[in-house]
Amino acid sequence: MNDKGCETCPVYKPGNLIRHGINMTDFDFVIALAGNPNTGKSTVFNNLTGLRQHTGNWPGKTVSRAEGAFSFNEKKFKIVDLPGTYSLLSTSQDEEIARDFILFGRPDVTVVVVDATRLERNLNLVLQVLEITEKAVLCVNLIDEAERNKITIDDRSLSRELGIPVVLAAARQKKGMPELLNYIHAVASGNYKCKPHRISSETRELKSAVEKLSTRILKQLPHLPNARWVALRLLDGDQRMIDAVRNGELEELFKPDDGNQNLMSVPNI
Amino acid sequence: MNDKKNTNEILKLADELRWEIGNDFHDALAESIHADAAQIAAVAVSYDDKKPQFDMDRTIDRIVTSPWLGFPIMFLLLAGVFWVTIEGSNIPSGYLASILVDTVHPALKAFADSINTPFWLSGVLIDGAYLAMAWVIAVMLPPMAIFFPIFSLLEDFGYLPRVAFNMDNLYRRVGAHGKQALTMSMGFGCNAAGVVAARIIDSPRERLIAIITNNFSLCNGRWPTQILIATIFIGATAPAHLAGIVSAGAVVGVAVLGIFSSLVVSWFLSRTVLKGEASAFSLELPPYRPPRILQTLYTSLIDRTLFVLWRAIVFAFPAGIVIWLVANIHIGGAAVAEIFIDWTNPFGILIGLNGVILLAYIIAIPANEIVIPTVLMLTVLVSSISGVGGGSGVMFELDSIEATSSILHAGGWTLLTGICLMLFSLLHNPCSTTIYTIYKETGSVKWTLISTFLPIAMGLVVCFTVAQLWYLLA
Amino acid sequence: MELILIAIVIVLLLVILYPKIGSLAARKSMNASNERIYVEDALKHIYDCEYKNINGTVQSIAGNLNISYDRAAKLAERLESLGMIITGDVLRLTAEGRSYALRVIRVHRLWERYLADETSIPEKEWHLNAELKEHDISAIEAEALSVQLGNPVYDPHGDPIPTVNGELPEKNWKPLSSLQSGDVARIVHIEDEPNTVYAQLVAEGLYPGMHVKVIETSSERIKFEANGEEVIIAPLFAGNISIAPLAEFETIPEKYKTLLELKRGQEAEVIGLSKACRGTQRRRLMDLGVVPGSKISNEFISTWGDPIAYKICGATIGLRRKQAKQIFIKPGKTESAKA
Repeated sequence: MNDKGCETCPVYKPGNLIRHGINMTDFDFVIALAGNPNTGKSTVFNNLTGLRQHTGNWPGKTVSRAEGAFSFNEKKFKIVDLPGTYSLLSTSQDEEIARDFILFGRPDVTVVVVDATRLERNLNLVLQVLEITEKAVLCVNLIDEAERNKITIDDRSLSRELGIPVVLAAARQKKGMPELLNYIHAVASGNYKCKPHRISSETRELKSAVEKLSTRILKQLPHLPNARWVALRLLDGDQRMIDAVRNGELEELFKPDDGNQNLMSVPNI
Repeated sequence: MNDKKNTNEILKLADELRWEIGNDFHDALAESIHADAAQIAAVAVSYDDKKPQFDMDRTIDRIVTSPWLGFPIMFLLLAGVFWVTIEGSNIPSGYLASILVDTVHPALKAFADSINTPFWLSGVLIDGAYLAMAWVIAVMLPPMAIFFPIFSLLEDFGYLPRVAFNMDNLYRRVGAHGKQALTMSMGFGCNAAGVVAARIIDSPRERLIAIITNNFSLCNGRWPTQILIATIFIGATAPAHLAGIVSAGAVVGVAVLGIFSSLVVSWFLSRTVLKGEASAFSLELPPYRPPRILQTLYTSLIDRTLFVLWRAIVFAFPAGIVIWLVANIHIGGAAVAEIFIDWTNPFGILIGLNGVILLAYIIAIPANEIVIPTVLMLTVLVSSISGVGGGSGVMFELDSIEATSSILHAGGWTLLTGICLMLFSLLHNPCSTTIYTIYKETGSVKWTLISTFLPIAMGLVVCFTVAQLWYLLA
Repeated sequence: MELILIAIVIVLLLVILYPKIGSLAARKSMNASNERIYVEDALKHIYDCEYKNINGTVQSIAGNLNISYDRAAKLAERLESLGMIITGDVLRLTAEGRSYALRVIRVHRLWERYLADETSIPEKEWHLNAELKEHDISAIEAEALSVQLGNPVYDPHGDPIPTVNGELPEKNWKPLSSLQSGDVARIVHIEDEPNTVYAQLVAEGLYPGMHVKVIETSSERIKFEANGEEVIIAPLFAGNISIAPLAEFETIPEKYKTLLELKRGQEAEVIGLSKACRGTQRRRLMDLGVVPGSKISNEFISTWGDPIAYKICGATIGLRRKQAKQIFIKPGKTESAKA
């Protein structure tokens, strides 16, 4: 028989949640929540929305995408909890869902939750998110555990390096949540202008390839804010991106003077 | 179409560049991102240079993984969890049974009679569906409500990943993941919950193995059957003062046989049908955290206990109806159940069982908890014993083991029947809740069928062999 | 009644044996299209000869496909009548023949990539498995597979995968046998045919991406270091290994130490990940922070000695010995022994 297919592979099937468009009519802003597994992402989500999802001391607990909503400063926010991933680069379904939502879903803010005790590893994901989107807030969670382990995190220099707001939080104790909300609102409404860090220590080969390709892409799509990411994905052979370039979806998505933030339907991701 | 040309140019350029960069693109990119991350971390994160006098996490880790203490600690903890579960659930179980079965059931019957409900309607709904649900709740709820929260607390504290870490060597040899030790332990509570728990294994092959073999963990619906049958048939063969130990030993023996089967089947699967599935290993050992007791109790109650219970009830409802109907629909003067039992009895004898047991396992597929009540009801039905039970189609259990024993003996049961029933109770298809859960989790008919039929095939083979040897030697 | 039981047993057997029966059936149907397999294999062979600048002849087809000379001659005639090749002393592909051959090669290499990245089929079975599969996959299935794999451009042996339009890059490889003692280079490709030679090279632990340093060469043998381990092979075998010069930033290290050699309490710096670690496993390790330059320390060892817990980027990760052996390190300072 045909044993090639992975239709039977028991990956978590998070896909069944995402393949419908998202109705954003009733919301002022859409927030994406990204982060490594086991960083307390779900706890942050629960804190913001008042929902209770089971969160365990295990990697990979959030198996499907959860959605919730809340109001703040008289604005309605919809929050989408993306699958916990270490990276956004592989062909795994979780990572595909996360990166496609951040790019094609065009959330108004992407909140990245990281574990203060493993900040270095978690920054990988943050840097990848910042290649895709300019509007992001970093929530350094589990700061209490970091303190216990004598790790100090300088939120100001972190914010300066990354070019986005940084909040030190302990979601279990509800510490840092008000600040997080303020920053989410500030970035969503455009009051806080992010200057995201872009990856700079590529090998020479890689750098020249990315530059060549992104220059070519910008010639065609001058309004693209993340041509480097598009170039990286094309170099990685990501079919979703190849199709988006080919059928003009990318161009459509980042049309100049597109004042309307609330796209009525998210293209089929 | 200028645009078309332009986009094609972009894609063509990308292709050419990909040839140049070669195969290492992914590595190179990952390395450069890490390099940036390390630079930023160097600026923003500072560690206290003084070496901590006492690293709590490492100390615990070195104790719980030490060559001398690692396994004793693990066995003591797990044994403690099981002991608390079994001891702790006895009283609420009895309490629930006395309310739901002994008080509410007669009251419902009386009410139905008072408003002149037809015999068949009150039979189907009250004696069938209601009683099956009542049984499942009484037997299932207390142990689950104790076992899962304790398990969740251990999980929350961070101990369970260390168990997986310690056990991995064994599981690696059979082609599985160390975390399977945990899903297996969960299976001792409930196989459906064990199958769901296999989500913690992120490598596809190892996850499938854990799902398929979970049924070999003797779940809490099967423990009462094991204990009852061991007491009646195996304990009775020993001198009175040893009976307790002998029958307990027999039950533990069956549980160990289950663990052994799960390892053998894992080994078999990973070398045959699952040979080609992708496999990757890494096991993150999170820092220890003080468990949040109240929240854990709440979420594990909602997530696991009620969830599994709800599904079991949904499946028990129709089963109760079927059980009542087969005992009460008559064809040519005999109940459907009697006809079926007569018909399958020769085959049952062949594998050391009998027609009653086979029918009970078929109609009680939704929940192992109702196997014994169904067996008793059917035995009374076919052996025409009068004076016990609540009439045909009404499941029952007896307070005294002696009374149960005399019914079973009157039904023609022997020591062989007891042994084979214990084996068959371990090695048979998963309950329908578990089968449904396996389908939901794997999304594949193929793996669901394998998980269903593999254990029952093994059970038939094992029971047949034991019975034939018995007939030869006895 | 017995009938029903027999039926149940048969159903059980069917379920259990289902994949075997499946693959048996597939093999049978392939026998029927045997002719197609010969045609495709011959085209592939001639293409291979042209790519390597050696002469493809009827004789070499007979040798490569393991068939008689007469049979090979008939095959060549058939190919010419199909317009795939031009016969003569040396067989030449027509444009159509070349594009056909490239399609088959594309499927073959894609499938090898799939086996390497997405399954746990052992390395020595890839090529043979792909030899069967290449005749079996439709163009549509092949494209779906390519998308699923992220449109790879190289197969696990280091061979480029032709694009859908049949394009291939120029290659600048040399055989290992062309190196002099003292030369350093990187293995870019190991020829997977004939299988006996390939199996031997795999058994020596060689794979694309390894750094080699030639120690001595003679007509009988070539002695070289591959990632620091000494290997001796015959020059004939060395001809099946292709090498390319090292990129400027690559330095050839002294004998590689692996993570497995790190004792409890010791710290080291990661210098690389063996190319033998592939697919999901490789990505997982890199995601966890196993990349050149990061610090790693052996924290504690499980009760049975395997797996071992390492601290990587602040997190404690259990890795099996087999994986630790695939991680290369440069030992760092030793943590003062603590109680």
